[in-house]
Amino acid sequence: MDAVLVSDLWKAFDGVVAARAVSFSIGPEEFFTLLGPSGCGKTTTLRCVAGLEIPTRGQIRIGGRIVSNPEAGQFVPPEGRRLGMVFQNYAVWPHMSVFDNVAYPLRVAGEPRRAIAARVAEVLNLVELRDLGRRFPHQLSGGQQQRVALGRALAGRPEILLLDEPLSNLDAKLREQMRFELKELQRRMRIPVLYVTHDQAEAMALSDRLAVMADGQIVQVGRPAEIYNHPATRFVADFIGQMNFLPAQITAGGPGIANVRVNGYECRAENPSGISGSAAIAVRPEDLVLAADEGLPGRVQVQNFLGNLVEYKVLLEGGLTVRVQAPPGQSYEEGAEVVVGIRRAMLFER
Amino acid sequence: MLDPRVPLLVLVAAAMVVLVVWPVAQVVYRSLLVDGGLGLDHYRRAIVGPGNLRALTNTVWVGVASAAGAMVAGAVLAFLVMRTDIPGKGRLRTLLIMPYAVPPFFGAIAWAQLLGPQGYLMRPLIALLGLEQAPFSIYSAWGIVFVMAIHAFPLVFLTVCGALERMDASLEEAARTSGAGSLRVMRDVTIPLVLPALLAGGLLAFIHSIANFGIPALLGIRVRFYVLTTSIYASLNIPDFPLATAKSMLLVAVGAAALALQWRLQRGQQRYTVIAGKSIHPQIIRLGPLRRVAFALAVLFAVVIAVLPLFSLLLTSLLKYYGAPLAVASLTLKHYAYVTNQEVIRRALANSALLGVSAATITMVLGTFVAYARIRAKLRGAAALDTLGMLPYAIPHTVIAIAMILAWAQPPVALYGTIWIILLAYIVAYMPLSLRTTSATLQQVHESLEEAARVSGAGPLRAMRDIIIPLVRPGMVAGWILVFMPAFRELTMSILLFGLRTETIGVIIFNMQNSGYTQIAAALSVLVLVLILGSNLIVRKATRGQVGF
Repeated sequence: MDAVLVSDLWKAFDGVVAARAVSFSIGPEEFFTLLGPSGCGKTTTLRCVAGLEIPTRGQIRIGGRIVSNPEAGQFVPPEGRRLGMVFQNYAVWPHMSVFDNVAYPLRVAGEPRRAIAARVAEVLNLVELRDLGRRFPHQLSGGQQQRVALGRALAGRPEILLLDEPLSNLDAKLREQMRFELKELQRRMRIPVLYVTHDQAEAMALSDRLAVMADGQIVQVGRPAEIYNHPATRFVADFIGQMNFLPAQITAGGPGIANVRVNGYECRAENPSGISGSAAIAVRPEDLVLAADEGLPGRVQVQNFLGNLVEYKVLLEGGLTVRVQAPPGQSYEEGAEVVVGIRRAMLFER
Repeated sequence: MLDPRVPLLVLVAAAMVVLVVWPVAQVVYRSLLVDGGLGLDHYRRAIVGPGNLRALTNTVWVGVASAAGAMVAGAVLAFLVMRTDIPGKGRLRTLLIMPYAVPPFFGAIAWAQLLGPQGYLMRPLIALLGLEQAPFSIYSAWGIVFVMAIHAFPLVFLTVCGALERMDASLEEAARTSGAGSLRVMRDVTIPLVLPALLAGGLLAFIHSIANFGIPALLGIRVRFYVLTTSIYASLNIPDFPLATAKSMLLVAVGAAALALQWRLQRGQQRYTVIAGKSIHPQIIRLGPLRRVAFALAVLFAVVIAVLPLFSLLLTSLLKYYGAPLAVASLTLKHYAYVTNQEVIRRALANSALLGVSAATITMVLGTFVAYARIRAKLRGAAALDTLGMLPYAIPHTVIAIAMILAWAQPPVALYGTIWIILLAYIVAYMPLSLRTTSATLQQVHESLEEAARVSGAGPLRAMRDIIIPLVRPGMVAGWILVFMPAFRELTMSILLFGLRTETIGVIIFNMQNSGYTQIAAALSVLVLVLILGSNLIVRKATRGQVGF
């Protein structure tokens, strides 16, 4: 059975639709992410699942139980949903110690004192705050406060863990470390997670599956590799990873694989949506090569050495520029004449 | 799903309508009621009646003159404290804000003792100048303007200091790097950017001055110099209620005009949203050799407005008789013994304490609910309720007292002469203060803190008990004391509403001073001030200096 099932969810604020016809499901031990730019409706959707917003329309089930169904007048308030949630600003209560923060869901549930103490100790261990139970939030670093928030969210053995951009307030190094920890923790706890972020790298790294959202709608759902390699729309292709778009003319072939002409150069490209005529050809920087036998002639404008790879900005004949990523082995100076070859490409509407 | 908080909101809304709207509507209605019909006769009388036009023009020019004085002093001292290398800034700032904590009518009493015909400052001045009599009188229009300006000064000073503090230092640095010297930067960037704040502070000073009763009552009535507040008081003593209501409306109109101006100024200010960033290293002007001179003048100014009046009250309360030679042999505690033994005074202290505690508690409970409903629960109608509660901010306290008499002085609710009518007036008058502190406190508690409790399994009431209330408690306690303090020593409303056995301490002090018992008035003032300054200290400690003055 699905841990969460959202079907045809709509949410409007004073007539402005923030989420439209959102549907997805989360498996029992799945890490599921809503990914999209700010204002795309991902946080609204999460808050509807939490019960912090009342949906305009649509059904939400958690663990098989209907928690929201406005048409039937059903609504379970957040306190009745058995959730754990980590807020973007952590929302750690400043007037309570670390112990009291983590113990709160258990106290509200009326668990006996002994059980609470044992569970809090267990959870503090889990989030690596073993000896800090007596501290107050103002005595903790940002990273530690976040662990408190995570511990509090896990303490009550929730049916699902909701995470609203939990890493966005951490510095880059800590963020990467937490990324691993979060995933390990989820694997160990075998708990379903609904995660919200605008950071595509984070979403790719963490998720079992993710949904890309734009303008209140889900555009594509799939495993990270699936979405990276087979973006459904030009928006997804552009939003996930880096992508070069060049104008192209389709010369032969329909759905599937097509022959296209780009700047006078003929090549083959995937054509999932079966476009014909003029199109935009989309190529990832790592799918471009600089020393090709045939391709698009151009000149290296900028060279950025990034350590594990080198990034080039190449000015093509005709005035367009592309980004190319290459291994650091062979290097091209700025100003060098190159021929850019296309290894793999996709076609989208112009 | 009906939110359980909605019926409560309806109840509070009904209370607000009865407390605020009904009495205010009474004032408007009665001012227009002429022989059973509607007409403008009372307004005609309020303007062309003997001395009445004079009261109106006096109100305006006294208000403008005191605001102007406060603006000049406020701007200069704010610049000195915030933007120069003058020493002792912190202490100086605290001292300069002092008059804000002292009730204006205490100031009038103190200055009458200092600059009256036999005043502590007047006698040496007469001797110094070799005159036979005082060169000027504190009992005059300019005496009133002088004391009003002192009490309005902190309003301007604080507003300008705030604007200078919030101004982004990079704006001034940009002018420096464009080649402007410090004085040029001040002229071209700093002053233009602070000007709206200075004007806003001036308008605030004007609004406070025209609504003041104690100063013109103690310094003006005996020389027949009337402003609207004292003129309304006189009309009630005749008694001529219709005339008093018409004058009240005129006073409200003058104040509303100033408020409208202030509102426009604030909207215009949004074009300059640059005053928003945090200033890190604001431009500090080095005064060089002028540093000591500026410091000495600032200290002298602070001593005159803050220390002298308090010292005068203390001295007067300790002298065997007013005018006694200033020697240790002349000191006595008999006035304190007298005031603590008098049945009337003890009763007045009890009345004021009861009124202060009740008014503070009731306004804080109502204010907290309205603020919670508006900011947190976002209940529909709560914003309108907030506006309603803020309405009395635009109504001078004299007019609030008149409204109470009109609304609650006849059957079926005949409260006039009882302590309840004073309490109702206090609740209405201090509602805006409570709403502002409760809103500010609640806004500091981020919404997610409450939501975190909800997803942890706590219902709305439990979340309120465990999270919201503990977090807002210090702010609410401070807000309570901020209402209690002015209510405890209130004069303007209680002087119009008190009856037999319902005197407040403000009324007693006022009457004592007016009947010539200036030493009793001084002793009582000192007692009240000790209490006020003491609670202020508690508030500052409790809120780590965020609330209080």
